[in-house]
Amino acid sequence: MTAMLEVRGLTRRFGGLVAVNDLTFEVNEGEMIGLIGPNGSGKTTTFSMLSGALRPSSGTIAFNGERIEGLKANKVCRKGLARTFQVVQPFPDITATENVMIGAFVNTGGGRQAEAKAREELERVGLTPKADTLAKELTLLQLKRLEIAKALATEPKLLLLDEVAAGLTSTEVDVMLKLVRQLNTEGITCIIVEHVMRFVMNLSHRCIVIDFGSQIAEGTPEEVLNNPAVHAAYLGEEASIA
Amino acid sequence: MNLKMPYIRIVVIGALICLLPLVLSTFYMHIAVLVLIWAFLACAWNIIGGYAGQHSLGNGLYMGIGAYTVAYLVNRFNLTPWVGLVVAIILSAAAAAFIGWIVFRYALKGAYFALVTIALTEAAVYVVSNIPALGGAGGMQMEYRGNSLAYMQFAGQNGYFYMGVVLVVFILLLTQWYKRKRFFYQLIAVRENEDAAEALGVDTVKAKIKANVMSGVLCAVGGVFYAQYFLYVGPRSVFGEVVSVQILIYAIVGGLGTTWGPVVGAVLLVPLSEITRGQLGNSFPGSQLLLYGLVMVLTMMFMPFGIMGLADRLRQRWQHRSATPLVDSQGGEAS
Ligand SMILES: Nc1ncnc2c1ncn2[C@@H]1O[C@H](COP(=O)(O)OP(=O)(O)OP(=O)(O)O)[C@@H](O)[C@H]1O
Ligand SMILES: [Mg+2]
Repeated sequence: MTAMLEVRGLTRRFGGLVAVNDLTFEVNEGEMIGLIGPNGSGKTTTFSMLSGALRPSSGTIAFNGERIEGLKANKVCRKGLARTFQVVQPFPDITATENVMIGAFVNTGGGRQAEAKAREELERVGLTPKADTLAKELTLLQLKRLEIAKALATEPKLLLLDEVAAGLTSTEVDVMLKLVRQLNTEGITCIIVEHVMRFVMNLSHRCIVIDFGSQIAEGTPEEVLNNPAVHAAYLGEEASIA
Repeated sequence: MNLKMPYIRIVVIGALICLLPLVLSTFYMHIAVLVLIWAFLACAWNIIGGYAGQHSLGNGLYMGIGAYTVAYLVNRFNLTPWVGLVVAIILSAAAAAFIGWIVFRYALKGAYFALVTIALTEAAVYVVSNIPALGGAGGMQMEYRGNSLAYMQFAGQNGYFYMGVVLVVFILLLTQWYKRKRFFYQLIAVRENEDAAEALGVDTVKAKIKANVMSGVLCAVGGVFYAQYFLYVGPRSVFGEVVSVQILIYAIVGGLGTTWGPVVGAVLLVPLSEITRGQLGNSFPGSQLLLYGLVMVLTMMFMPFGIMGLADRLRQRWQHRSATPLVDSQGGEAS
């Protein structure tokens, strides 16, 4: 069986800067993959390429056996690959429910069905009390949940989560952890970008570590944590990995 | 609230408005017809400008296409305006689709989009002014053929008035209906955050082109109505920046992206501008544009969401005050 996601030689340059350099990895259906690396190592850029927001300079991306590099983001989304944004991207002047409805319209044309779907997803991420609040009036933590609800409403098979636990308190991290684990048991494959090590290490079956855009390690959370190369990369960020 | 309520409100208000001819004098009936024409055009612009958030400054282009198409076909080929209407719809749809395709494919946004649209509508003024078959700079007069729906011509203003009411009721119902549909939600998503919209499966280019076509076609319909009412079309009276600005100002003042906003804006401003034109127009040319500029700046400063937005805000504040504070403090943070 082929992997759900096959990435080969993925590269992105910004002028002279190689933000992502020759990344090759696979993700199998049902897996939880941690994608970690120090600040500026190219994680978000990788997500942007996978989701179609950014064109790769070179390399290929196959999703369920179909090449998707160079497709526009809306096409990629409709194939079942959704992302959340590290810097939250709400639709500020409409309610939380309406925000999520935009995603729900991928699978239905009717307003009523989309609204029902949206309310379901808001329930799932614990935002029901804020369903009728304008997005611009939500707190950052609520906006992070809204990001997930929006993405979920498109019914993704593969979900890219970009730092959904960043900035949360310890108890909030636990709630988010439970939510993401729940998504996985419901059959959604996830790639998790996260600096909160407790979060990624708890959730991931397998971790990919990148530094300066290149892959430096891959393995189970324990293997990765005990890898000297990873420690070297995180030097100075020692505290966050321990 | 009952989902049918907004529709019922539109129809009932429309029916009540039909009683106006019983009380208004000829002069005020003329103003009432103008209000209806501009309300319709502003509602049409609201689709691309208000819902999709693409501030076209050149929707006069489509109004002009509608007006000139009908005038030309009626004058030259003796066709009924109803045929002209159909041709106008086709031509404006093609123009709006082509322009939208070029402009949105190359991701022209904000001020660039505004500049391109205003350039196009101004270009149309010069092109039309230089085509003798279209009457050149002097425009085209249309013949009065008698009081008949088949000619879309009426003796006196009442016929036009009722036709205007039908058009405005139609566009309000259409807007209200689309508001619950995927299409308008996608337009709003485009307006609010294009990257997020794309990431959620919205084909933003396609959505904007569709909005441009819908808005353009409806502006052309407005243009046909305008030509039939005045029985005259001139380059600057239907193309050009003045009409383009008029089209959008009523929507902005009334409330962008609201069903009723453009109508409210037209009801308040059209009579005002007609009266100032009558009073100042001769001694102080350009006073109308000046007035528009002033009103627009004041609106943007003091009520960015227009009159309807302000009304919404006041209503919400009122509801908040009457609701128990508990409702709010059970926010999503708790879990
Ligand atoms: N649009 C862009 N133009 C130029 N450089 C960019 C652009 N986007 C990202 N970069 C650069 O590419 C590198 C990788 O950035 P990226 O955001 O992918 O890192 P990251 O791993 O997500 O970092 P963080 O953990 O801080 O979120 C950085 O050096 C960044 O400055
Ligand atoms: Mg990042």
